[in-house]
Amino acid sequence: MALFIYGTATNTGKGFFTAEDRRAFFLRGFPGDVWVVGNNEKGALWLAEKNGVEKTKAEAQAIVDAEVAAAQAAWDALPEEQKTNLNSQRPTAITLP
Amino acid sequence: MTTYSDIRGYRVKYLSSDPTLNTSTEGQVWYNSTEGVLKSLVQIKAWSAGGNMNTTRYEAGGCGIQTAALGAGGYNPPSPGGLTATEEYSGYTWAAGGNLGNARYGAGSAGTQTAGLLFGGANAGTPIGTNVTEEYDGSTWTAGGNMNTARYYMAGFGIQTAAAGAGGTDFPSPTIVSETEEYDGTSWTISNNLNTGRKQFSGMAGIQTAGLVFGGDTPGVTAVTEAYDGTSWTAVNSMNTSKWQGTFGAVGTATGALSFGGRTSPSPTITSETEEYDGSTWNISSATLGTSTRNMGAAGSKSAGLKFGGSVVTPAVTNSTEEFNSTIYSPATGAWASGGNLNTSRFTLAGSGTQTAGLAFGGFTGTANSGATESYDGSSWATLPATMGTARYSLGGAGTQTAALAFGGRSSPGPQLASSESFNGTSWTATSNLGTSRYRLAGIGAQTAALAFGGNSTVFPSITLSTATESWNGTSWTSVNSMNTGRMNLSGAGDQTAALAFGGGAPNVAATESWDGTSWASVNSLNTARNASAGSGTQTAAISFGGNPNPTELWDGTNWSTATPTTTARSFLGAAIQGTQNLALGFGGYAAGASAATEEWTLGSSAAGTASTLTTS
Repeated sequence: MALFIYGTATNTGKGFFTAEDRRAFFLRGFPGDVWVVGNNEKGALWLAEKNGVEKTKAEAQAIVDAEVAAAQAAWDALPEEQKTNLNSQRPTAITLP
Repeated sequence: MTTYSDIRGYRVKYLSSDPTLNTSTEGQVWYNSTEGVLKSLVQIKAWSAGGNMNTTRYEAGGCGIQTAALGAGGYNPPSPGGLTATEEYSGYTWAAGGNLGNARYGAGSAGTQTAGLLFGGANAGTPIGTNVTEEYDGSTWTAGGNMNTARYYMAGFGIQTAAAGAGGTDFPSPTIVSETEEYDGTSWTISNNLNTGRKQFSGMAGIQTAGLVFGGDTPGVTAVTEAYDGTSWTAVNSMNTSKWQGTFGAVGTATGALSFGGRTSPSPTITSETEEYDGSTWNISSATLGTSTRNMGAAGSKSAGLKFGGSVVTPAVTNSTEEFNSTIYSPATGAWASGGNLNTSRFTLAGSGTQTAGLAFGGFTGTANSGATESYDGSSWATLPATMGTARYSLGGAGTQTAALAFGGRSSPGPQLASSESFNGTSWTATSNLGTSRYRLAGIGAQTAALAFGGNSTVFPSITLSTATESWNGTSWTSVNSMNTGRMNLSGAGDQTAALAFGGGAPNVAATESWDGTSWASVNSLNTARNASAGSGTQTAAISFGGNPNPTELWDGTNWSTATPTTTARSFLGAAIQGTQNLALGFGGYAAGASAATEEWTLGSSAAGTASTLTTS
C-alpha cells in the first residue's frame, strides 16, 4: 500500500488542518496547493472533507514543478538588487516524498 | 553529562517510521525522520467507567474480552437465591442475553461471549454447591456435562470446549476443594490437585493447558500463585498482597494476568489495588479501581481488562462496570494547525504580539516592499488602515499587537535602514534610529524595552555579518555588548534582559547565544543549522521553526530537541515575537512564492488529550 495520498486543496485558513489532524496522519503542503497526506483512513477523509482533488504522485509532482518553474522565472526577472531578498538563492526544485 | 544512552542503555534511533509498539520498545525514544518528530513510548494504565449492567449483582460469572464480554448469574440480595440473568457487553453497554437454565452464583466460567461456559456454583439461599454445566451459544444456554464434584467459589478458565475448574468449596462450607477438573466440551475429567487448596480466589487467567490462579482463602488469605500446564500445578511467585473474594472469570493469560479488587483480610476491608503479572513477577499497578470492589464478574486481558458488578461498601451491591486499559502510545511533542491566511502574501516580514493577538507588518510581496499592517485575533487577519511610514522588509520587530516597534530593514532599491517606527494600535510614528543601520536582523522584547541584534550592516550587494546589539529604552537605542557570532536572518526569543539568539546565515548557522542583560554567552547549538527561520518564547523555553531547512526545535534552557515541522515548509516567515514555546504563531514566508499561510503551534495537548480519555482514581 502506498504511503501517501496526493492531492490539491485550497488552504482556507483556520481549521483547514488541525493539530489533531497533524497527529492523526502525515500532512505536508507544497506549492500549487499540493498536499501530501498520510495514507490512512483519517488522512483520506481529511482530503475528501477539504474538497481535495486526488492526484497521482506524478500529477502532483508536475503541479509543484510548474509552480517552482514559475517562481524561478519570476526570480530570474527580478532586478539583481531584489534577488537579495531571498538570499540570492534561486528557487530550487522540490521533490515530493 | 548523563546521556539518554547512559540512562536507558539505548541510543536515540533515527528511523523513517515508528518501530513496532510493544513492551520491548516501551520507554524508548526515537526520531521519526518522516514526520520530523522525536517520539517515545509511554504506557498509560488506568481504570475507567464503562456502561452499567441492567441487573445489579455480585458473584456473576464472566468470560470474553473487554469489548465482547458475557456476564451470567450472580446474586442480588435479598433474592432468595442466584440469578439466571445473562448480559452481553459491547464495550459500551450491556444487553440482555438468554437466561441460564439454572440460577446460581459463584460459578466457574470460561469461553467467549458467543461460546460461553458456566459450571458449578451455588444455587439456593442456603449455600449448596452444584455440579451443573451450561453452554452458551450467543443467545441460549444448553446443558453440558456435569462436573464430578459439586462446588462453588472455584476458579475457571479456558474455552467452551477446553476448560478447567479448580478449587472452590462444597457443602457444607467451609470445606476447601483442591481438585481440578477439565472439560472437553462434553464431559469433565479429574486432573491433579492444586498444591494449595482454596476458594474465593483473587483471580484467574489462561487456558486449559496454560492456566493461572492466584490468591484466595485456604482458609486464611493467601497471595500464592499457581500455574497449570494442563497436567499439574506449580507454585510461582506470589502476589504482593494476599487477597481473596476477587473476580469470577479469567483476565489475561498465564504469562500476562491481572488481579484487582477483592479483600485483603478476613475483615470487611475491600481494596481497589490492581496487580499485574508478567509471567514471572507480580507488580502493583499504578492504576486502581475507581471503586473498591469484591466478588466481581471479570473478563478480558492484561492490557484490556473488565470488571462488572460486585460488592462494594456502599451500597452493598453494584451494577457498575470498569474497564482497565494499559495503552502504549507515543506522545507527539506538539503540532501545527492552520490559522487564518494573511490578506497580503509576503515574506521577510516582522511580527509582534501573541498567538491570539498578533501583528504582522512590513515584508516583501515578491514585487514590492510592503508597509501593510495586519492584526490577528486567533482566527483571522484584518488589514489595518495604518501602514508603516517606510515600507520595508527584513526588519526587526518587537512588542505587542497594540504597542509594537519596527526597526531596521531595507526598502528596495536602497540601502539598509536605521530608522525605527512605533505602533500604538492605530498608527505608526517614526522614532529614533538604530545606531547601526542594518537589515536581516532580529528583534525581541517590548515596545519600550526591546533588543536588536545581528543582521547585515553593509550596503547591497556586500554582506557584513553583524554582531552589533542595541538596547531600546522606549526613546533611544544604545549600543551594548556584541554577539559572539555574526549572522543575519537569525531568530530571537525572550526579552531585553534575558534573550536567546539562534540560527541564521550565511552559511546556515546552528549557534545559539544567551543574553543576560549585559553580555552574550554561547550555549548549545540547534540540532539543525538553518537560515531564515522564526522563533518566539523565552530565554529558557524557546521555539525555532521554519527556515531552510525547516524542522521545529524546542529549547529547554539547556538543549534543543526536534519537534514536528510546520506543515508547509517555508523560509523568511514572520512570528508573533511574544508567542510562547507552547503557543506560537508563524505566518507568511516564502515557498516558491510569497505565502499567506499561517500556522499555530500548540505544545503539550497531545499527551493530555490522550490521557484525558482515561480516568484514574
